[in-house]
Amino acid sequence: MHKTSFHILRVGLAITFLWIGILIFKAPEAWGGYVSPWALKLLPISIEQAMIGTAFLDIVVGALLLFDTLVWLGALAATIHLIIVLTVSGINEVTVRDIAILAGATALFFDSMPASFIEKLYSNKIKIL
Amino acid sequence: MTSLALLFTLSAIGISETMYLIRKRIAFEKPICPIGEDCAVVLESKYSKLFIIPNDVLGLLSYILIALASALLVIGVEPLFLWNIVLIIMVIITSIASVFFTYLQWRVLHAWCFWCLMSALTIWLMAIIMLASYY
Repeated sequence: MHKTSFHILRVGLAITFLWIGILIFKAPEAWGGYVSPWALKLLPISIEQAMIGTAFLDIVVGALLLFDTLVWLGALAATIHLIIVLTVSGINEVTVRDIAILAGATALFFDSMPASFIEKLYSNKIKIL
Repeated sequence: MTSLALLFTLSAIGISETMYLIRKRIAFEKPICPIGEDCAVVLESKYSKLFIIPNDVLGLLSYILIALASALLVIGVEPLFLWNIVLIIMVIITSIASVFFTYLQWRVLHAWCFWCLMSALTIWLMAIIMLASYY
């Protein structure tokens, strides 16, 4: 990815994650309304606690991306987090935009993967073959 | 709420700008200067530090404080009046500092730094948003 576009995507996603985290902290029970009933039954904690945990994760992801520190880890966490969000909420008029955020986070992850990790991945692939 | 969202977004942009300058300074690399070629003249001048603290670090701390105050006001964490005062004071101080640094570039150094101007623009935009939200 071109360096400028990488940084634009990184900062854009960082602001999105930080802001969503803040909004969830403001009204965790309201955001819990987006979780499907089947997913609510699986929760070992209250929905409010789960949403506060989500807000905390969103802010950590946003901070990693904004401060340009461990971007690959932040992007990986964001990708996994968004897959879970889309699974437990389903695709509706609000979460449909999460598909774009998921694509952006995945692109950022692949572009920021440490060289050592890529080398390890390829050496393992060669061993398997 | 909208003005706080804008202030938070602008401070996040400011954080990314100052982080870029800090990283480049620590790595002894020259930052990319998209417009003009005088970034290094300004960033390496004697005015790039306040006592011993580099201006980019002061800028980063200011942006973090503004972002934090905006976030706490949105969430509604008490004491709200304190976060409001922090927000107002920080925007006023950084706006005045930006006027001073822009004057230095214009009249003293006779060189323009893209990142410094971007930061000044970000802060003045914050001041305009804040003024507009109060009136």
